[in-house]
Amino acid sequence: MDQDELLENERVERILSPHPLSFMKLQSLCIFLLIWGILIGWFANFSEWCNSWFNGFIQIILVWSIVLLIWGIIASLVTIRWRIFFLYLGVVLVGILLIIWQNWQSITGIVIPYYTIFVSIIGFLLVELYRRSHKYIISNHRIIFKGGVLTKEERTLRYDKISDINYKQGILGQIFGFGTVIPISQSGFGLGSDSTFAAGGVAVGKTRAKFFGLAGGEKEVQTPRARSYYELHGVYPFKEIKKLVESLVQGSVITQYQQEQVEFQREQVDIQREMRDLLKKQLELPGDLSINNVEEESSEEEEE
Amino acid sequence: MTGSWIDIIIFAPLAPISGVILFWFLQLVFIESEKYFLSKIKDRHIALCRFTNFLGVFFQTICHALGYTVTGSGISEFYLSVHYGKVAPKRKREGFFEWFSNGFLFIGPFFIPSLLLLLTLFFLIPSGFHFTIQHEYTFSESLINFGANLYMFSRSFIGFLVTIDLFHPAHIGFCILFLLIGLGIRPSYIKQEKKREKIDMLYDLRNIKNYLLNKPLYGLIFFITSYIFFYISFLLHSNWYLSFFSILGWLSIIAIISILVAHLLIFMIRITDRIPSIWRYMPYIIMIVSYIGMRVFFLFIPLEHSKSLSLLGMFILTIISTWFILKRETNKFKTIIDMESLRDLDGSR
Repeated sequence: MDQDELLENERVERILSPHPLSFMKLQSLCIFLLIWGILIGWFANFSEWCNSWFNGFIQIILVWSIVLLIWGIIASLVTIRWRIFFLYLGVVLVGILLIIWQNWQSITGIVIPYYTIFVSIIGFLLVELYRRSHKYIISNHRIIFKGGVLTKEERTLRYDKISDINYKQGILGQIFGFGTVIPISQSGFGLGSDSTFAAGGVAVGKTRAKFFGLAGGEKEVQTPRARSYYELHGVYPFKEIKKLVESLVQGSVITQYQQEQVEFQREQVDIQREMRDLLKKQLELPGDLSINNVEEESSEEEEE
Repeated sequence: MTGSWIDIIIFAPLAPISGVILFWFLQLVFIESEKYFLSKIKDRHIALCRFTNFLGVFFQTICHALGYTVTGSGISEFYLSVHYGKVAPKRKREGFFEWFSNGFLFIGPFFIPSLLLLLTLFFLIPSGFHFTIQHEYTFSESLINFGANLYMFSRSFIGFLVTIDLFHPAHIGFCILFLLIGLGIRPSYIKQEKKREKIDMLYDLRNIKNYLLNKPLYGLIFFITSYIFFYISFLLHSNWYLSFFSILGWLSIIAIISILVAHLLIFMIRITDRIPSIWRYMPYIIMIVSYIGMRVFFLFIPLEHSKSLSLLGMFILTIISTWFILKRETNKFKTIIDMESLRDLDGSR
């Protein structure tokens, strides 16, 4: 981080980036491609079924694409991200088009494994590029989240604006000592929602008249969630970072006693200000209504 | 029929039980040894230790959950982390069911992971799952038959291991599972045990002793059930009783061999830790490259036992290269000319 980006009296505590294994959800998609590439290569060239089930362009392509697409559907349903399915669909379509375009039908058993492994390696490199684009700067005043491969994004969060902090540590994180810190701001930044939808239908009738009824419902639950650019995603060492963030947030939060003190001081200042105004007014009054005259008049009244 | 009635009625049922206990005890000793070696590398490989902890906790938690499921208690809470696992039943069941589900927790982790491997082996080994036919039902005959069952299985199993094909996806999958189970069949906590109660072989034995002594009646029921099972087998002239305990013996053998292989891995990590710089990764690379090289070599020059020879070649090359790297990289303070020659040159001798 450049010095000119820092504010006055600002000091950088830590500069962090996500742990190499923290994007395992994305990496696992590539791992599957790699394993399936090796397996399809073995099935098509070395297994006992290479001359029966995997004998020819159509058979290999069918098995290869069906497994990829089924896995894509499962992964999309589990993560609720249909882009995974479309990604695998893209891999399948490009693979088929490549073989047809280059007339590689006779060597499909060799091309398909190499292509799948190549795509998985490209995937690993892209995930790594994405991971390296993240940078988190923890200073004594704020947390700066930076990221973006092509479009650069940046978010700054002051500690006094943090209302809640969420910590996440998966099994891999527990083993390798990394985890995710999601600071939730007062405006609700850092919160996402999980929604479930249920629907049911009833068909009534025999041959002609059919009635179809549909009843549905949706349930939404607020949950701490942010994009990896807007959270401290997979930071290492997790325990130290957790402690640091917690202490920095705690340091910028005014406690109840401090709040009372501030209120009391404010009242004092208001009283002093009023007194000053009164004194000013009295000094500005003409001679017969000056302070001395007023005091004399009041003492005479007391004597009477 | 030879053998006295006392032998058949009282002692014969104990033969396979004592055999299983013996193998299980061996398993405990190997587990303890593995734990000792893991604790030696924990400072430099804390992630590996945490991973093995997780495997241990995972197997224990799964066994506990299985216990509650089998006894019909249900599961209301299932928590699993690297250092701790917890399973809470939906319905609290007292008496025998509680005792039985606790049995799964204390004894299950020693056998259930191996059962997974045994099921995998069933598809990979063509033979070896045979039981001897029992003619006599005496103690010695039962023990001999039990030993014969174990021997036949062990021969097939070790035969499979020494001819394993690391170019076969199913065999690679088995290898990974085998290593994971080898690292995971043990009580956990490599790092945090100092803060807690020491979890070792004695801790396990103490737990099992308490488990048996707390409810002696249920232990007695178990023994009576075993005896009844034996008598039924005896009356029907079948080998069911012996077969059941033979399977438990097989599970112990699988566990012991997997722990031994895990020992080799830990030993290799310990050795390579002594090699400085990037050279420490060299033995692992040599191991993979040498195996691939040997397999390719035998592809052009086909020989009988090429898979075993490839494995053997891999081991020999890895050991030699590790020894060479270790000698080259760690003998920094030694002179190239040995001390004897130096003394000769010096004229001091």
